Amino acid sequence: MSKENNSFPMTKLQWLWSNMKGCRGLFVTAILGTVVYNIMQLTVPYFSSQIVDMFLTGDEARANLANHRDLFFKLIIMMVSFTVARVIIVYLDCMAYEYTSQKTLYRVRNFLYDKIQRQDMKFYSTYRTGDLMTRVTGDLDAVRHMVAWVSRMIVESLSLYLATAVYLFIMNWKLALSVMIFSPFIFIIIIKFRTEVAPRHKALREKLAGMNTYAQENISGNRVVKAFAREDYEIEKFDHANQDFRDTNKVTQRTWIKYYPYIESCANLLAVVLLFVGGIFLINDQLTMGEYVAFSGLIWAIANPMRQLGGIMNEFQRFSASSAKVMEIYFSEPEIVDSPDAVSHPGPFEGKIEFKNVSFMYSDGKLPVLRDVSFTANPGETVAIMGETGCGKTSLIHLIPRFYEPTEGEVLVDGVNVKNYKLHELRKNIGLATQDVLLYSDTIEGNIAYGVTHLTPERVVKFARYASANDFVQKMPEGYDTIVGERGVGLSGGQKQRISLARALAIEPSILILDDTTSAVDMETEKEIQHSLRELDFKCTKIIIAQRISTTKFADKILVLQDGRITESGTHEELIAKGGYYAELVKLQMGGEN
Amino acid sequence: MADKKVKELKQKNTYREDEAYEDNFDLRHLLLAGAYIKKYLKYMVFAMIFSAIAGITSLASPTITRKVLDEAVPNKDMKQLTILVIILVAIYVLTVIFATIRSKTMVNVSQNIIYDIRKDLFAHLQKLPFQYYDDRPHGKILIRVVNYVNSVSDMLSNGLINVVLEIMNLIFIVVFMFITDVQLALVVLCGVPVLMVFMFWIKNKQRQAWRAVSNKNSNLNAYLQENIVGARITQIFAREDENAGIFAKLSADCKKTWMTAVSYSSMVWPGIDTISVLVRASIFICGLIVFGAGNKSLGTIIAISSYAARFWQPIMNLGNIFNGFINNMAYLERIFETMSEPVTVDDCEGATEMPPIKGEVVFENVNFSYEPGKEILHNVSFRVKPGESIALVGPTGAGKSTIVNLVSRFYNVDSGRVLIDGKDISKVTLKSLRSQMGIMLQDSFIFSGTIEDNIRYGKLDATLDEIRAASKTVCADSFIENMQDGYATEVKERGSLLSQGQKQLISFARTLLSDPAILVLDEATSSIDVQTEKALQQGLNAMLEGRTSFIIAHRLSTIRNCDKIMYISDGGITECGTHEELMAKKGDYYHLYTAQMEDIA
Repeated sequence: MSKENNSFPMTKLQWLWSNMKGCRGLFVTAILGTVVYNIMQLTVPYFSSQIVDMFLTGDEARANLANHRDLFFKLIIMMVSFTVARVIIVYLDCMAYEYTSQKTLYRVRNFLYDKIQRQDMKFYSTYRTGDLMTRVTGDLDAVRHMVAWVSRMIVESLSLYLATAVYLFIMNWKLALSVMIFSPFIFIIIIKFRTEVAPRHKALREKLAGMNTYAQENISGNRVVKAFAREDYEIEKFDHANQDFRDTNKVTQRTWIKYYPYIESCANLLAVVLLFVGGIFLINDQLTMGEYVAFSGLIWAIANPMRQLGGIMNEFQRFSASSAKVMEIYFSEPEIVDSPDAVSHPGPFEGKIEFKNVSFMYSDGKLPVLRDVSFTANPGETVAIMGETGCGKTSLIHLIPRFYEPTEGEVLVDGVNVKNYKLHELRKNIGLATQDVLLYSDTIEGNIAYGVTHLTPERVVKFARYASANDFVQKMPEGYDTIVGERGVGLSGGQKQRISLARALAIEPSILILDDTTSAVDMETEKEIQHSLRELDFKCTKIIIAQRISTTKFADKILVLQDGRITESGTHEELIAKGGYYAELVKLQMGGEN
Repeated sequence: MADKKVKELKQKNTYREDEAYEDNFDLRHLLLAGAYIKKYLKYMVFAMIFSAIAGITSLASPTITRKVLDEAVPNKDMKQLTILVIILVAIYVLTVIFATIRSKTMVNVSQNIIYDIRKDLFAHLQKLPFQYYDDRPHGKILIRVVNYVNSVSDMLSNGLINVVLEIMNLIFIVVFMFITDVQLALVVLCGVPVLMVFMFWIKNKQRQAWRAVSNKNSNLNAYLQENIVGARITQIFAREDENAGIFAKLSADCKKTWMTAVSYSSMVWPGIDTISVLVRASIFICGLIVFGAGNKSLGTIIAISSYAARFWQPIMNLGNIFNGFINNMAYLERIFETMSEPVTVDDCEGATEMPPIKGEVVFENVNFSYEPGKEILHNVSFRVKPGESIALVGPTGAGKSTIVNLVSRFYNVDSGRVLIDGKDISKVTLKSLRSQMGIMLQDSFIFSGTIEDNIRYGKLDATLDEIRAASKTVCADSFIENMQDGYATEVKERGSLLSQGQKQLISFARTLLSDPAILVLDEATSSIDVQTEKALQQGLNAMLEGRTSFIIAHRLSTIRNCDKIMYISDGGITECGTHEELMAKKGDYYHLYTAQMEDIA
């Protein structure tokens, strides 16, 4: 599932930089700001020491205080205003990083979302919801953190280190050299640390995604869990994911702790060397006391960046592991896309559907699902499809909006192969009410109006009436403003199906596909629905999958699908006369044999 | 009761609305958090002691430097210098060792705390009733279990230790300052009220701001989850552009609230820094001028000003910790809010085990409503003898599913009683009750995993033979065998590779495997074709022998053979009897049945 990093068209940092478009200037300014305030930081002690030297410790301190009070206040004001200025720069700088990171995050997040929602069905059977969610939330946060914090820390450490190094070298290059000669060791340690911690971070985010996926499914399937009283089992299973995540987390952090003593010792070594070599230099008069004090006052500015480096590397590896996951989606391309020579067809379709020798097999399937299927549905006609569970009915209708592509043969709408339409325009003309009803946590009105941007309340009611949903909706305390839970869980199966039907009708499609949409609706209501479907005030071709004869009876054409082949085709009367599968069904449903 | 239901209703939520925060809950939530910390308190104390030792040890290093400068250098004593350097090395080695021990301990503590919280949160979620899941987008629940819990770990472990250490540090310094000079110490402390006011102001701003961040993230998560799950709907309605717009808006909300929040959070450190420099200036001014030149010894002023500098370091650190604290409080509140979510359907006090069920089901004047004021069932009473099969028919939304949901106690009745074998089901443990019932829901949820695993969900220790047998009974065996890897075929999330009818067959097999004493089939075969259903019926009939069953179906041919048919409408049972009795009665059932037959004929 995860690709190797080198398969991306650019490196992670290039990718990050390309997504910082629009705020790169700000980012560079922020980096300069960091350099500035770090250098300012080094000068802070200057004013205090001036005050101390002139007015406190010097030989003429008393006299100075009496005679140069203005200078004293001037220094105080300088000290305060310099700090305030620095603090303001720090604040603005910090905000600049945050802004850049948020803007980058915003850009990538929206891009990812759009990428995900335009993927084909194959993608969705590869990636689990929880995993995708981890990428858009947790992984993206690591990317944000990289811009907002890690990059700042890198600049801060580097600028502090370099500025101090230069200063110390100018002051006494011999001592500076002996103090800093150990710095390179830290790089060796850090590189070793990197090799060890990188796979840990990869594992860690996998465990996080695993836990997320598991929790996601459990929440969605909470009804089944309760129905089987499997709470303990679920808890135990989640516990594994939870433990796994905890243990991987511990291992990752312990890797850091393993290297911490070496990094810390390296940093401490600076102070030791300073004391030892500095002491010798002092004894040999190669160094003044003032210089020594300056060195020891600034040694932190050399040591701290070295200490920081480990943390930075740790965070960088987190970014690296996460960004690989983000980029995998970022650069993924669906297989079903607008073909380059797709013709624009903005207006409504006539609604003629033709299947010409269509065969179909799922890419991960063993057997063909459809074999040599051919039929025509003329504009305005109703075609009913019947057949046993799993005979390929749903697969067949999924070829019309091009959710999948036939392995052989072609599917034509209005005489044009569906491949040659723009996906968007093709689907705009198709109203599909799926088997597995999915409503959104929104009001009933919002759900019905899902496919139409501005649907007046009157029209919402109209389509609800077509779907025989108006009566029960009206009876609800908040009517059309009632919020239905995710997947419409507050509603009964039949109610959900009717809302889903109203939603499909509301776009007034040229082609209406009903995939067993009324299976959970009672007979009485179904009759009403069938009636209104015949009386729609817009012309549309209907493809209806159904189990009930009452649904299919009025169809212009009935297709019987068996093992992916059309075995019978004709009107209700014709098929009864023929005495095949369909006639059997009719007999069965009349309950004649019972 | 009614009030509570109204409140629950208000929490009904979509991605558009922010969840409400109850105000000033900090203390209670902190106490709850305390319970998690308590378990690891001794490790934390242990870690703290090591930190303190490391801190104190490192205090010795300036003394060594002073000794070098004051003694070794003026005396040009190389030997002393070497000894002192070795001591310094020893000190550093010790400091590093102590700090490492602390870190090692704390990694365990902090990871264990998150683990515990997440475990309890998940366990609590399992107990929450349907209503909880029905009322909010699942993405909003998910973000709490995964993302929020991750955020609070550091605050509850290292954050807490550091607070204690920094406060101790602070106390030391204050004491030393007062020992040195009371007047100047007071000047330093003058900064504290200013700081307090500043922190108090920023705390309120920050709290609001971080809560907003958590709300907006939650909304985004909710939208994201629904749209990943509903991608096919988006595509068929060609709503990609509009959805991208909505997502961008939610995303922008996140960005905006985040920027507001960090604009306050980033102020803490600069604020403290500014106050500290003002204090340092005051010391110089007061020490030299206000208290009069010469009144304070130079040493005193230098000492105080160096203490003042050290006084602000712990405060800065505390400020940072405080920042994280406020930030994470918004998450912590959400976590503990979920954990204190009342479990409305739970084992009552002194609940007993349901003995093996014989199958008598009695409803005694049952009233029930999902939402206050809208009664679904009104005064429903009926009695089902052990082994009887009952069909429930009637218009959609009349309450058929509700009745069977009450038999399994998915909801509590408003009044009246539901008895199984004479035992009030609200007085027995849920597990013992539900594990004896087989419930096939309308929405046949399939977990990702193999088909075998999905069926085994009904009986965890079932052998493959048992699984096959169950599948054969429901006529699922043949299509399963035809799949890529037979029973070992991985069905993707929600069984996306299967047709609805196949999903129903699998979930049917799963239910049968659990060998229930009472079987509930709620539109269990609606998507299964008539022929398969017919074949299935034969296996089913054998299996229904001796078990009480409730069957909801719209295809009346399915239910003709039931012992009793109940017609449900308008909140109650309007007709009840065998098929023949009801047909003879020429009531609603008769009309329904004849209409159906006419339709087909």
